[in-house]
Amino acid sequence: MVIRIAAVGDVHLDEDVVGRFRPALEQLPGHADVLLLAGDLTRHGTEAEARCVAREFGGLGVPVVTVLGNHDHQCDQVPEVIGVLEEAGMTVLEGTGLVLDTPGGRLGIAGAKGFGGGFAGRCASEFGEPEMKAFVRTTSTIADRLGATLRELDCDTRVALTHYAPVPDTLAGEPLEIYPFLGSYLLGQAIDSADTALAIHGHAHAGSERGTTPGGVRVRNVAHPVIKQAYSIFHLGDHLDAGEVSTAGAGGISQPWS
Amino acid sequence: MTSSAHGGGPPDEYVEAEIHRLLTENPEIAEQGITVVRREHSLVLQGEVESPHRRDEILRQVAERFPGIPLTTDIGVIRTQAPTEIEQLP
Ligand SMILES: [Fe+2]
Ligand SMILES: [Fe+2]
Repeated sequence: MVIRIAAVGDVHLDEDVVGRFRPALEQLPGHADVLLLAGDLTRHGTEAEARCVAREFGGLGVPVVTVLGNHDHQCDQVPEVIGVLEEAGMTVLEGTGLVLDTPGGRLGIAGAKGFGGGFAGRCASEFGEPEMKAFVRTTSTIADRLGATLRELDCDTRVALTHYAPVPDTLAGEPLEIYPFLGSYLLGQAIDSADTALAIHGHAHAGSERGTTPGGVRVRNVAHPVIKQAYSIFHLGDHLDAGEVSTAGAGGISQPWS
Repeated sequence: MTSSAHGGGPPDEYVEAEIHRLLTENPEIAEQGITVVRREHSLVLQGEVESPHRRDEILRQVAERFPGIPLTTDIGVIRTQAPTEIEQLP
């Protein structure tokens, strides 16, 4: 059996965007078991913008699971933003997880915003000024919780959802100088600490779609400017031939997309 | 003690940095994905945004803050169609 995951990040909603995603979103029932949102749902993280997200992504007929992004923190209204999203029926993850029963099996999702720091060999260290230590500690605390949550999920298939990138592969296209602000290898290490099937992230608007953790977990950057469509759909399952890996359209789509 | 390509104005590199921060920190814009490229006689703003309104606002805000600088924009609005292909991950 197949688990069908739809995902998009960085939709940066405000009044001016409401309605643009909706026609494509209304095709989700029947095509996906869950919609994952990889953070940066809003422009500035206001309660009013969260209401735009609720209007656009609420009542879709498929479960919506999200993490917040850095933009969703900008106005320090995180509890209000979460309140509005939950009221609209969405699940907001931060160092937490949930298990969904799907026709293809139990899908476990662990989510966290993540943070920066850079990647192995070129990363920040917990050393020196308190600000520097706090920066690195922020990421390691988030990564530790993400790893623990992933390992604890009682499910058939595990997916990790973050805003920041767990690997540098999916940053290709971004200036090298800003990699430390785009993600951290600590997130990748957390993902590799469990039997994770797929890691979804956003944040790197100029990055690229596909990557792999050092432990072999597939990573997909679903930032809207990267995927250039309302969402991407991934089919996870053991039944597929290795030859079908990443071959778009192979195996076919049961119904044509309009 | 600074030299300048635009008689009297700040050096181009600082203008570029200032525009880049304006694009992110100005609450009417709040974009991190716009790049500023220096060409010989103008600055080119490139990237993609979520609505035509945002593209217009970027041009307006930057032109208002830096009236002396010739600007060119090549900013697209990201498409929101449903996918036509599925990625199979065994
Ligand atoms: Fe973003
Ligand atoms: Fe972001």
